[in-house]
Formats: sequence, structure tokens, C-alpha cells
Amino acid sequence: MFWHIVKRELYDNMNSLRFAVTTMLLLALMVVNAVGYFGEYNARLTEYRRKVSESLDEMEGNADRLFSLVLNGPGKLRKKPSALTFCADGGEAFLSEYAEGRKGGWSYGWNRDGKGYRVEGIWYLNYPQANPSLWNIMPADTNVSWASIIALVLSFVAILFTFDAISGERERGTLQLMLSNSVSRDAILLGKFVAAFLSIAIPFLIAALINLFLLYTAGGVPLGAHEWARLGILLLITLFYIVIFVALGLLVSSRITQSSISLMVLLLIWATWVVLTPSTLGSIATGLKPAQTSAEFDQHRSKQRDNLKKEYLSDNPFEFEGPTRSYPPTKATQRWAEYVKREAELSERLNKEHLRDQINQIKFARSLARISPASIVGYAVESLAGTGFSRHLQFLDQVNRFAPQFRAFTNETDAADAESPHLFGVKEGMSDKPVRFEAIPKFQDRVSLSSDFNTAAVDVLLLILFGVVLFASAYLSFLRANILH
Amino acid sequence: MFLTLLQRELLANLIAFRFSVAVIICLLLVVTNTIVLIDDYKSRLASYNTAAQKHWEEAKNAETYSQLTVSVDRPPNPLSIFNQGLDRRLGNSVDIHHSHVPALWDTASHSADNPFLSLFSSIDLLFIFQVIFSLMALLFAYDAIAGEREGGTLRLMLTTPVQRGSILFAKYISAMLCLIVPLIMSLLLSLILYAFSQAIVLSGDDWVRIGGILLTSIVYLSAFYLIGLLLSTLTQRTATALMLSMLLWGTLVLIYPSASIFAVNRLVKADSKLEAAYEEIQQIWEEFDRVRTDLKNQDPFKGENMYGSVGIGSGTNADSTTLRYYSYESINWNRIDDEKSGPQIPHVKTYYKSLESQRIRAAEKTWLVRQEALKQIYVRKASVAQTVMRLSPAAMYDMATEAWAGTDFHGIEDFLQAARQYRQTLIHYLEDKDTFASRQWFASDKGAVNLDDLPQFTYRRTDALTGAKRAMPDVAALLLINVVLFLTTLLIFIKQEV
Repeated sequence: MFWHIVKRELYDNMNSLRFAVTTMLLLALMVVNAVGYFGEYNARLTEYRRKVSESLDEMEGNADRLFSLVLNGPGKLRKKPSALTFCADGGEAFLSEYAEGRKGGWSYGWNRDGKGYRVEGIWYLNYPQANPSLWNIMPADTNVSWASIIALVLSFVAILFTFDAISGERERGTLQLMLSNSVSRDAILLGKFVAAFLSIAIPFLIAALINLFLLYTAGGVPLGAHEWARLGILLLITLFYIVIFVALGLLVSSRITQSSISLMVLLLIWATWVVLTPSTLGSIATGLKPAQTSAEFDQHRSKQRDNLKKEYLSDNPFEFEGPTRSYPPTKATQRWAEYVKREAELSERLNKEHLRDQINQIKFARSLARISPASIVGYAVESLAGTGFSRHLQFLDQVNRFAPQFRAFTNETDAADAESPHLFGVKEGMSDKPVRFEAIPKFQDRVSLSSDFNTAAVDVLLLILFGVVLFASAYLSFLRANILH
Repeated sequence: MFLTLLQRELLANLIAFRFSVAVIICLLLVVTNTIVLIDDYKSRLASYNTAAQKHWEEAKNAETYSQLTVSVDRPPNPLSIFNQGLDRRLGNSVDIHHSHVPALWDTASHSADNPFLSLFSSIDLLFIFQVIFSLMALLFAYDAIAGEREGGTLRLMLTTPVQRGSILFAKYISAMLCLIVPLIMSLLLSLILYAFSQAIVLSGDDWVRIGGILLTSIVYLSAFYLIGLLLSTLTQRTATALMLSMLLWGTLVLIYPSASIFAVNRLVKADSKLEAAYEEIQQIWEEFDRVRTDLKNQDPFKGENMYGSVGIGSGTNADSTTLRYYSYESINWNRIDDEKSGPQIPHVKTYYKSLESQRIRAAEKTWLVRQEALKQIYVRKASVAQTVMRLSPAAMYDMATEAWAGTDFHGIEDFLQAARQYRQTLIHYLEDKDTFASRQWFASDKGAVNLDDLPQFTYRRTDALTGAKRAMPDVAALLLINVVLFLTTLLIFIKQEV
């Protein structure tokens, strides 16, 4: 009996105008998405490789001497592009594609007794900002990606398929007829649920496969086992998302007697919950948890730096000696080395704190925005596509783990040289020998499915929770619903 | 008779469930968003004030005339609360120097808050109107004719001596009245919140602009209502009418504008004129370099340096993607040994006198090339996107209100125009005092220059009339859509079997 209802509903749905329009719309959007990303991944990958090898060349140039490696640092550490950018853009344009370990940017140089001295700030980590929209006069838009198609279009379509599922039958009197036969209410609701679900999921899957086919054959997107695993999970998430809105539609449809009012209520819920809430909550949340502005940060940093300077260089630095290469090292050399080292440590720590502050603000806003399932599905798709904010955090994490490795390497190399005075930070206190380029640790951005899945897991669970709660309420409400018009 | 019809429709609409729901949702959204937006505006205004003051002080710190660079800032637009447009996004601070004519692509941002915030799309009042009111208009319209036909009341009504035209018209007027009420209520509410916030001072012009936005909103609403009415006349069943209007709504308001921008962004490639223009600009400055070498060679003190402490910041500022290319020299000799280099000084003065006017000329020539090329590369793409988007009334509405609020590209260009004007003022100031040929152009050994009479930069948004002119094409197109839709509906309705 249950399958009979499913079949009947499915035929009804597929013969309807909305099914035809939905299928066309999804196909059109997926094709636009595929064509938009033709060749995009290859171009980005080539660019990434070129820039990485550029940084490596620069590093090789610095390897002629340990100190120039310590001074210039590892250079730009780049984020690897994802093959699945077409699934979710994730605001990549607003996330910097590299972090940077570069020169401290300050120096003292002076002459004394016919000898020239020069002390320079050594490398520390910087997190440059990306601000691409400064010159972008294109009108603001939502990117046509899988994420936006899923979040906006699928939820909309789910509402269109379910608003009259129960109220329509009640209006026509067929609900009464059906229940007078030996059909249980469970079977009717489940049947309608499954049918609506299938008539959305099937066109979406077809459109998605066409999209992937186009991208694979003509768009230069490599689809290996890893990508398929990601896409599989992603499609599963999409199905959970569809469940939420089908259940919502059934819930409202069973409570409200007129199908036109049911659609109206659903649309207003949809417009506020899916379209308006994510951005509104985002801006409210960022207002609730303000982060340090750049001006404040600059002020704070220069104050801290001045304090450190006072501690070490309160007497005019040109009055006391510069660093010299001597055994045992002079007091001045020790003092300069310590200052240089602490200055770099301080700057790196402040940068990290500032970044953490900013990240926390966004994390808070994102968790508040999760009230809307549209945001949740967006975040989950983003994580699985390997783009967006959570991916950026993973990248920053790797960068933060790499920096001490690089530092440890330079320390060890210095320690291994018996001729060095072992004063890290100034040229005169360090090994003067060239470094073997092959031995230098190199940054490699790694993408791992398991960590991406871990970040997406919370979102997936939330989606399931939403789905279960809505489905249960729809079920209960239908069990108690009045079947008369 | 018409009045009776009107009254009937009006009452039916007002007591409808949809009316109250729509009003409540709209007011709720408008209030929360206005509070957020006003807060945002305040912080932007604060950062503008700090930046403007800081930049002015920095400019006055110049010790010689050649060091003089003034950074000017664009204040946030108070009407950006209605339509943010490009106001919040684009660069809002630009350096003014006689060696370079500034364009939008030289701007920086003074309000550098958390850059990750751009991950959240920001919402303005217009977006709420755009989404919610078009939805409401369609919800009011879908059963206007189809519902009466289904209920059989249409037939009943036509047995009385009522003209079909007046039925349609009564429906239109009453629905519009019901739609305008929540619109005006939400507008008033946000204006009250404005008044409470006190940070925002609206001028008389701004009120005209807000009036323009209100007018455009009404025309937009009416366009969507008429779309719904047409569908309602065409279809037999209300359910079909509703379904069709919703699909059309989703496509026109949410999907089509974004999809067309995406497509234009991805598919319209910037042309390769960039390189040609860059080469042309490079040639201009190579020519300038030749002139400079010639000038140096004419100098009898060839190859000799002046005695004193040298502080020269000179070089070329070049960026091939934005076609920025110019050379600058900011010189500050803070100690000159008069005995040794005294005879040189007149030569240096004549050198800079002719060099700097050459530099200004080169900058102007560069601008002619650059302006055209930048238009070709960046502006063309945006206008292609806008043209494609105009198929959707929602996009037209967006653009028209952007123009009214002055947050569109033209509004931002106005600021840069003012900045370029200010550069001229600055050059006049330098020329009037004959500074290029003065000792203070390059030397501060006799004290820093006195910049107390330096003209200050002022920027006023253009008047409401200009905004109206810019908004007019879109408003007119929306009106035309209205007329066409109404006439089509009327014709179909008159010819129709009941």
C-alpha cells in the first residue's frame, strides 16, 4: 500500500508543471556553473605551482648563508587550490591565499670608529589580508555554485512540491476518501514524503551528474577517488537538506487548511529563514563581538615594541657597541641578539593574537548564523569542497606548525657548526656557512579528507537534527490533523 | 460603482491573513536590520573622521613642497543604509600628488576592519524590500481574477452593469494601497530609528532622494503586482497561478541577477588592450626621463652633487594591472653648505621649475590613455553585467535606488572627480606661489615650509537632481513595464470568457 502511494504521488509530481520547471532550472544552473568553471582549476593550479617554485627559488638564493635564511625566513607559504571550487566558492576571494614569513622590516645601521654596523629584524610570521573588492565595481552577487544552488533553489523547490501535499488533498476531499480505505495515516504521510523527496532528489542528481560530466570531460577538473568521496558525502548532505524542507512543507501543509495560505506561510518562512537570516545574523553577531580594529592593533603593537626597545636599547643604540664576531661573544653582541630574537617573537605573537581575535569574531558569527539551515549546508559543502573559512583555518594551522619547524631547523644547523658563537639573531653570532637547500624544511599545504569531514561533521549532525525534529513534528501534526475541509 | 468595488476589494485585502503576516515580517526585518546598519554606518563614520584628520595632519608634516602629498577620504554615504551599493565595498582613500591623476583603481581603504567579515553578505533595506515586497505583491495578485473565477463571483459581478476595466482597476488600486501601507510604515520606522541615532544628519537633498526611493519602490511593487495579475488572468486555477508566480519570483528576484553576474564575470574576458595601454604609458614616462636627462646635461655643474644631507625619495610607482605608472621625487635637503653649493642653487631651481611642469604634463597625458583603457577593462564588464541583469525588474529596482542613494558607480566616481579637481587646486596652489622654482621645493635647511594656507579637500555628494537623472532610465523602464503589463492584462481580461 505504501509503495502504491509513493508511485501515485511520484507520477503526479512528474507530470506536473513544477517538476518540468524545476528540472529545467536545475539543469540550467548546473550547466552555467560548469561552464563558468571550465579550465579554472588548471589555471589556478599552474599559478600556484609557479608561485611556489618562485618562493623556493628565493629560498635557494638565501641558502648561501644560514643568517640570510634566518633574516628572510621561509617566504610566502601558499594555500593549495581545491579541485572542487565549483561546489562552493566559500568567499575564497576574501581569504588570503598565502601567509608569509618575511624580514622584520626594521634595521639600524651606523658607523663607529671606522667600522660599519648593521642590525636587522629577523623573520616572523605575517598574515596578509586579502581585500579584492576594493576595486571591484561589479554588482554584488551570490556565486552560482553547488552550495548556493542547494541552499536556495532546492529548499525553494521542496516547498513548491509539498505545500499542497496534504492541504490540497483535504481541499479536494480526496484525503477523506483515502482514509476511508484501509490506508494508515503513516503510509500516506511517508508516501508523500518519499515521493516529494524523490522528485526533488532525482532531478538534482541528474543535473549534478551532467555538471560533473561537463567539468570532467571539458573543464579539466580531475575527479579521483578523493574527489568522489567528497562529492559522495556532499550529495548525502544535500539529501539531508532536502529532507528538512520537505518535512517543513508537510508540517505546514498538514496544519493549514487552505493550500494557498500554506504556500504563503511557507514562502514567508523560507524568505526569512533561508534568504534573510544568514546575512542578518552574521552582521548582528559581528556587532555583538567586536574585534580589534586595525588602527587599535597598530597602536597596541607599536606600544609593545617601544616597551621592548626601551628595555634593551634605552640608551642610544649608536652609543654602545655593535655586534661583533669574537670568542667568547661580547656583551653587546649578546644584547643585540636577544633583542632581535625577542622583537621577532613579540611581533609574531601579536600577529597571532590579532588573527585569533578576528577569527573568533567570525567563528561566533558563524555559529549564530547556523540557526538557518541554509548557512549550515553552505558551511558543510564548503568544508567538503576544501574551500572557505574552515579550510583557511586548517591552512593557517599548518602554517603555524611549520614556522617552529623552520626555526628549529635553523637553530639545529647553527648548533651543528662548531665555529659559530651560537647567538641566534645577529649575523655576527651565527654560523657563516652555506646551508644545504635540500635539507631546509619546505612548506607543503596538505588537504586531508578526514579533517575536512571532521569540520563538516557538526554541520551534518545539525542538519540531521533539524530534519528529524521537523519530520517528527510533521508526523505528529498529521496524526492529529483534521481531515475534513 | 467603482468606489463600491474598490471598497470591497480593500476590505477583503485588509482582513486577509497575508496582509497581517506580511506587515509583521516586514517591520521586524526592517527594524533589526536598520539597527545593525546604523551601527555599521556609525563605525564607518568614526573611522572616516579619524582617517581624514590623520591624513590632513600627515600632509601638513611635509617639510618641503616636493614632499607634499595629501590623502583624501570619502565619507560614508548616510543613504547607504537603504542601498549599500558600492559605498561600503570600494576603496575610500586616495593619495593626491601632482605627478599622478588618481582613479578608482588607486584607492585604498581607511576603514580596515576584520577582513573576514566580507564572508558574510551584508543586507540593506532595499534587499528586504526587493525580496519581501515582490513576494507580497505576487501573493496579493495570484487569486485576484483566478480566485473570483473559481468561486464563481466573477460571473456574478459581470451580470451587473460593471465594466471589466473598472473591476481590474479597482483590484489594482486596492492591492496597491494595501502594499504601500507596509512599505511606508517600514520606511517611517527606519527614519525614526535614524532620528534616534543622531549620528546621521540628513540634508534637504537627502529627503528628495528618499522620496525618489519610495517612488521607485512603489513602481517596482506595482510591476510585480501586475505580473501576478497577468498570470492570474491567464490561468484557470488559483493553484497554477500561484505556482507560476512563485517560480517566476524565485527566478527574477533571486536566481537570474546572480546567475547573470556570474556568467558575465566568468565568460566576458577583459580584453588585451591592457598591455598596449601600459606600453603607451611607459613611453610617456620614458620621454619624460629623456627630458630630465637633457635638463641635467644642460646644467653647467654637470655631475656634481650639492653638499649637504640628502633625503631623496624618488622612483617609479608602477602596476600593470591597474595601469598605474608615474615617477616621483620627494626631496628634502635638510642641510646645505652655502659656501660650497651656493652657486648651484639657482641651477637646481630652474631644473625643478621645468621638470615639474613636464611631470604634470606627463601625468595628464597618462591620464588620457589610462582613463580610456580602464573604462575598457573594468567598467565595460560591469556595464555588460548590468545590461544583462536588466531583464529582471528586481535588478532595475536595485540599480535605480542605487542611483537615487548615490551609492552606484557614478556616485563613487563623483568622489574621484572631486579628488582630481582637488589635485588641480593643489597644482594651482603650488604654481601660484611659484614653488617649483623655490628653494623650499627641495630644501628645508631654513625651516620647514609653511602649509597653513594649504587648501583643504571638500567633497559634497551631488544634488538630488543628478541622482534623479541617473535613476531615470531604470525608473522609466519599470514604468513602461507597468503600462505594458496593465494593458496586456486588460486586453486579455476583456476578451476572455468568464
